[in-house]
Order: sequence, then C-alpha cells, then structure tokens
Amino acid sequence: MNKSISLRVNDVDYKVNVENNWTLLELLRDRLHLTGTKKGCEEGECGACTVIMNGEPVNSCLVLAIEADKAEVVTIEGLEKNGQLHPIQEAFIKHGAFQCGYCTPGMIMSVKALMDHNPNPSREEIIVAITGNLCRCTGYTKIIEAVESLVAVNEKDS
Amino acid sequence: MEYTAVLNKREDKDIMEHDVVGKRVPNVDSNVKVTGRAIYASDLNLPEMLFGKILRSPYPHARIKNIDVSEAKKLPGVCAVVTAEDTLKINYLVQGPPFDDKPVLAYGKTRYIGDEVAAVAAVDERTALRALDLIKIEYEPLPAVFDPEEAMKEGAPVIHDNRPDNISARTERNYGNVEKAFAESDYVFEDRYVTQAVSHCCLETRASLARWDSNVNLEIWSSTQSPYFVRKELAHVFAIPPTKVRVHQIHVGGGFGARSKVCEDEGIAALLALKTGRPVKITYTREEELTATRIRHPMIITLKTGVRKDGTLLARHMRIITDNGAYTHTGPGVQGVAGMVAASLYRVPNVRVEGYLVYTNKHFGGPFRGYGNPQATFAIESQMDLIATKLNIDPIELRIRNANQPGDTTACGWKIGSCALQECLERVREEIKWEEKKKNPVPGRGIGVGCMIHASGFKVYLDGEWSSAIVKVTHDGMVEVYCGATDMGTWSKTSLAQVASEELGIPVDLIKMITMDTETTPIDLGAWGSRTIFIAGNAVKMAAAEAKQQLLEAAGKLLEVNPLELTIADGQIFITTDPYKKISIGEAVLASKERVGQAVYGKGHYEPEAELLDRSTGMGNISEAYTFSAQAVEVELDEETGTVKPLRIIAAHDCGYPINPTAVEGQIEGAVAQGLGYALMENHSYDNGRVLNDTLVDYKIPTAMDVPPIKALMLGYEPKGPFGAKGVGEPGLVGIAPAVANAIFNATGVQIKTLPLSPEKVYWELKKD
Ligand code: FES
Ligand code: FES
Repeated sequence: MNKSISLRVNDVDYKVNVENNWTLLELLRDRLHLTGTKKGCEEGECGACTVIMNGEPVNSCLVLAIEADKAEVVTIEGLEKNGQLHPIQEAFIKHGAFQCGYCTPGMIMSVKALMDHNPNPSREEIIVAITGNLCRCTGYTKIIEAVESLVAVNEKDS
Repeated sequence: MEYTAVLNKREDKDIMEHDVVGKRVPNVDSNVKVTGRAIYASDLNLPEMLFGKILRSPYPHARIKNIDVSEAKKLPGVCAVVTAEDTLKINYLVQGPPFDDKPVLAYGKTRYIGDEVAAVAAVDERTALRALDLIKIEYEPLPAVFDPEEAMKEGAPVIHDNRPDNISARTERNYGNVEKAFAESDYVFEDRYVTQAVSHCCLETRASLARWDSNVNLEIWSSTQSPYFVRKELAHVFAIPPTKVRVHQIHVGGGFGARSKVCEDEGIAALLALKTGRPVKITYTREEELTATRIRHPMIITLKTGVRKDGTLLARHMRIITDNGAYTHTGPGVQGVAGMVAASLYRVPNVRVEGYLVYTNKHFGGPFRGYGNPQATFAIESQMDLIATKLNIDPIELRIRNANQPGDTTACGWKIGSCALQECLERVREEIKWEEKKKNPVPGRGIGVGCMIHASGFKVYLDGEWSSAIVKVTHDGMVEVYCGATDMGTWSKTSLAQVASEELGIPVDLIKMITMDTETTPIDLGAWGSRTIFIAGNAVKMAAAEAKQQLLEAAGKLLEVNPLELTIADGQIFITTDPYKKISIGEAVLASKERVGQAVYGKGHYEPEAELLDRSTGMGNISEAYTFSAQAVEVELDEETGTVKPLRIIAAHDCGYPINPTAVEGQIEGAVAQGLGYALMENHSYDNGRVLNDTLVDYKIPTAMDVPPIKALMLGYEPKGPFGAKGVGEPGLVGIAPAVANAIFNATGVQIKTLPLSPEKVYWELKKD
C-alpha cells in the first residue's frame, strides 16, 4: 500500500509516494536523501532523529511518513541560511559541544525547538529539553554550556 | 645538525609562548558536524548497492546439523545467501594464535545467542529480512554455561574443543616475594569485587559498506577506529595481501574501543559483496549492537593486600576470573592490563597476579575505554578505603603516602617519567573541600576519591607500535598532513593540526588533515590505548620539523642568510632581527632543491621507546609515558529508595600539557559520564544467555539529567610528548566507579563491592546492616 503525500521540508515543497509503514525518518534519509538526521535506535529513545514538525520537536523514527502529510518539517539541513550558520550551530562550535557528532543534529534541533518557544531557558529547562537526546561522547557538559551562552546573549538583547 | 639544535631549543621553550598549541582552537570538522553534512558509513550509498542482513543463532550453544538456503535464494530481490561454506573458514586473528577462535560465519557449532550463521544480500533491507526467515537451519541444542566460575568446574559443557577446561588464557605473574611480604605485613585485607557486562552504546550503530573491483581489490567504508586492523583482518580471512584492501576515511559515530578491532559486519559485508559482485552495506539495529557486538569483560576479582601500620603497601595478590564470553577477542590483553595495573597503581613492591579468562555462552568481551583497568581499579581503589578506615588514615593521605612518583619503576617494570599523581590528589582535596566536608558531614551525603594509572599507548602487538605522518607544504602556502590516525570524535584531527601548525609556524586554518585511508595515508595502528596524541602527535611533529627544515634552507638561500637566523610565523619566513626581509612560504617551496613538483614533503615515523612484555618474567615498560588521575565525587543518597545522585565531580588529570584544552576537557567529561553509567546504572542482564536489555529503553545510559557538573583539571608536563602532552582518551572513566562506591561508603559506612551501584542493590545492601 502506498499513498501520495505533500509536505514542506526546509522551505522546499515535496510531493512523494510513500509506503504506509515508512517512518518520517526513512522518508527523510532514504527518499529525500537528507542524511543529516541520524538513526540511533528506531524506537524513540536516543533522539538522534529529532526534527521539528509543525513547530514541535519529534522523533522522526516514531512518526509515520503518512502522518507528515501537509506538515512543515525543519531538519538540521534547514538551519543554515544564505551560508550563515544558525546561532545555535555557532555556539556548538565555539564551546566544542560535540565529539563524534552523531547526536549533534538531533541535539541542535531539540535546542532550537526549546529556544523557539523559550528564548531564555534556565539550566534546568535546558537539561529537560535535551534529556531525550542521548550523547555518549560529551557528558553533556559542553552542550549545556553552549546553550547557556545563547541565553546570556538573548538576555542582553531583551 | 645545527637546524636540529634550533628545533630542540624550540621544543624546550616556555610553553606559554606557543601560538596554537594550548589554545582552544575550534574543531577542524566543526562545519560538517553542526550542519549534518558529516558522512557516516550508514549514510553512504553507491550505485548498484545491496543491503545485507545477518541470521544469528537463537541458541546459546548448539550444533549446526543442516542449513537449507534454497527457499531464501528464490525470493525475488535476493542476490546472495551465504554461510560458512562460502568462506575460507579462516578465523580472525585479533590477538593471534592460539587465541584466534572466531570465524566469519559459524560452522560446526554456534556458541552464543547472536552468533552469525548466515547472511543475505538483497535489493532492500525489508527483502533481506524476509529472506532470513526463509533460511532453514537444523540445530541440535547443547548444554550451555553462562557463569565463568561454573564454566571452570569439572564436567562443565565444553565450548571450544581445544580448550576442555574452558580457559582461553591464563595469566600468572610474580613480582618480588608476595608470601614473605604478607608475613611481614601488620594487616592483610582480602576482599572480593565483581564487575558487570556493559555496552559501549556508540550513538551510531555499526555500519560498513564493501565492494570489490575486477582485480580482487577490496574497498570498505566502515565505522572503525582502526583501519589498520580492519585491513589486516580482512586480508587474512580472504587470504589476500593487505594492500589489496583499502579502508576508507569516514566519520565514526563513537568508538570507545568497540571499533578498535575488526567487527563481524565488516567481514560479512565483504563476503556478500564478493558473492554478488556488487557493493553491499550492512547497518546494525540497536538490538544487534546491544547483543552481538563487544562488551566490557566482567571480572570477579579477589584482592589480597598487605600493609604496614603506617599505611605503606607491601604486597598485593590479585586473582581475576574474567568472563570471556563465547569467543576470545582481546580478553588476554584486557586481563593482562588488569594485572599490570595491579602491579603499578601506587608503590607496591611485591605483587602476584593470577588470571583466568573463561569461556561462557554469552556475547563476548572486547576493548572498552580503559581495557581491563576500570575493573582492576574498582577493586584496588575500593579496598584502599577499607584500609584507610581500618588504619584510621584519611583516604587521600593514604593514597599520597603510596603515590607513584617520577623516576619510579613499578613492580612490572613500568618506568614512570612524568607523574603528578600527588598533585592531582592535593588539587581534588582542595577543590571538593575535602577537609571541610569531612569535619561537617551532612546526613545522606558522602565524598569519595578514585585514582588511576594508564599508559599513553601500549606496545602489545608484534606488529610493533608506531605512527607515521607526511607533511606536505604546497606552493600556495597550504599544508596537507597525511596521517593514519583515526578521529572517532576525540578531536585528534584538530589536535594534530595544531601540532603541525605550531611546529611549522603556519596558521592552523591553512592546515588540511587527511586521515585514515589505508591507501593514501601512512599507516597508524589506530585510535585505541590512549595513544594518538602521544604517538601520532610525535610523528606529525617530526614530519613538520623535516618540512620546515627544507623551507628554512631554501629561504636562507633566497634571503642570503644562515637559515638559523630565520623565523617562520603567520605563514611568512623572515629574518628574525629584520622582519621586513621576508618571503612567503610558497616562494620557499618553489625554491627548495628538495621539492617534489610544487611541494616539499617532510616525513615522520615515531616509535616510542617501549618494550614488549617479557612473557617469562612479566616485566616490560610497555609505554613511553603514563597518565595519572585522581577524581573526587560528592553524592547524595536516598536511603528510602537506594538512589545515589552524584552532585559534583572534580576530575584532576596528569595528562601533560593539553594541546587543545577544549578537546581534553571533552575527553575527560565524556569519560566521566560513561564512568557514571558504569558505576550506577549500566548492566546487561541475561536469561539463559539471552540479553534481556536489548533496547535503549531497557539498557539505560546517562542522560543530561544524570550527569552533574564536572570540573576537569589538566595538570602535568611530559617532556617526551609532543609539546608536553600525554594520552587522555581513556583515563577519565577509570577511577569513577570506585570514587562513587567510596562516596557511598563515606556516607553510610557500607562498602558495596559489586557494580553497578543501582538503587535496588544500594537499598538492600543498606538494609543488611
Ligand atoms: S532513532 Fe529515533 S529516537 Fe533513536
Ligand atoms: S557527540 Fe558523539 S554521541 Fe554526542
């Protein structure tokens, strides 16, 4: 069984035929070749596959592709605009908030979803927001520092 | 000769004068890693590519009576089905004969649930999975054994016919006179410590993509930490010369030892590719990753220690029973390292090590950050606190009294050069406010400390121990560093670029790192044993120095001065006393009489002054430098639930001068978090050999909520290291579990001697008293 769906990913419109049992993760990686979104477990536990769908962070391995019909999806590939990295990406670089980098796309998307709603999260709010994103390399220390540095900037701005 | 003198002088100069080394240079792969453009093995697709899947044994121990693949082969979309009959039945080497017991695909018998029996290549993964269901295997289940102490008993099921006692390897080392020293001791302690099986849990599951060309050349892209060993093993099992195997550079989503030797998917992907004549990719599921890749060897350690009243350690007898699992991977080495640690952590002149590496019908152990050291150190450091309590000596004071010091030779012959263990202890005492907290104890809170010693690279393979690099400086002033070192997230590419930049005087953003491709880069043994910065770092430094010498000579001719009067900085070569007289790097390159085309090349090959272990005496200075650490943990304990919450960690490391402090802190912080997982939550549980926690839902690793603030202190200076650096990849994990156990002991007076210190266990252990 397959079905035609339309969705917008990183400001590009797509119309694709998908099998009923495909996940959004498979659609992104295998059909749209957006391999920045990572696969770590396919059971909603690691967060490596996090993308933003209709403004909310989701584990794309738990979303069926057909559920993404008419959705607006942002993946890691959609953050850089006109050759300019997103401030979260810059902060991750500045603070050295990654090692192997495999959790990084999902981690950055979770942080983006958090800060879109709450530009000045507390340390606790940051930790809660990334608790669904496992990182085996960094011990989270530098990731939290990177996000906190953005909060400091936002607070200065407001 | 004169130039060498100049370069030596530069090595000695005050470390504060460095331009690039010691600075928080951003990771050289920053851009690809934050944008999702870093390509990992599972992201790769090639034209004509097929997908591979593996059929695994459902029995912990069974005879394979018959395999029928005919139905599977008929399924549309299936291109090949392979069994052991399609292989040469050559086993992987790993630590070499007589320990080479693991075939590419099982034949005769399967020895654990997960053992690879057959594999399929098909047009997509779903078809391959369906084909696995169609393979019919007739098994005759055999009695199995899961506990190493049971497996050692007379009459236990025999797992490998050539080892009727189920013992794969024995370690027996005697240094000094242990019996005499015990007799002379004022106190003798004897305790039994037990450690558990844990998984690396790299965020990326294993993946490899293999293809052959028409001249029987094998190419493979794999999530590996050591292209060198992958090449060596694949050449061995396919019986082709190593240079016919090319292992490509690719980003690796975590390693921690899991990928420092060959992994089964690599051989099977290559086999399927050979059969089909098409590229084949195998990507593991998380379940496969948790049930059929390596784990940390569980150990049962009986530790007997003799001390004088004043706390001086006189003798240690460590008896180790190591649960090898179904096959011998690096078990002999892991057990050997545990023994060397027993003979080297603190000054202890008389040591006996007795080790038994025992087969069981379970998934098998391999290298994992620390390589035997965390297990041994858990026992040693836990017992140190029992000794301290009995003798009424402060635990940190007891450790300082026995601390290794520069110039020491340990019982097994490790020659300690730089050593700041004592300073590490003093710093953590101060930073965690040890004295204050001891004087004013808070109910439910405790503090504990754990130390460790680890080598910066281990000379353990007959292959040797070396790293090599080529530094190419081009006519446009750019630099390419060719180095076989692998960066699985450790920032080694960045740190090595800094080494090259500092040595050459060329800005780091003009340095391009070309790493880990067995066809284009000089060979390196891989990223394991905390060896990269020390050994590859020295190789890159040598290569850069040689290229620099060529540039200075050419520039000296052009500027008509003695090369000794020249300086290279910011990509220019100028007369030190007259900086306006200068030429560009590119001009020097083109003027060099040693140029090749439009570039000059410097080469470096570094072999540390280290010895292989002498098998008869057990002596050997296996490394050129040793790293030390002392870590202090404060915990809060809820006696109602048994929950232990770490509040803060001070992680002092004598890791030498940090080439990149951000990178070193990252290694320490990540290792500490992994150590907390080992200490508090991670543990494989089994039902008749079946791994029960085979998902990340059930196998919990630390999340952001579980890791407290970590303060990493980077101390020490190693004269033989590149710019003073030593290895730091593994050390941060090693002392954490005992530090946590000691903090619980400090809070409650109860020492728990088995890992993990899970809420349930802590609850019941506290109830006992
Ligand atoms: S792959 Fe989706 S949560 Fe792990
Ligand atoms: S950087 Fe490797 S898992 Fe987070």
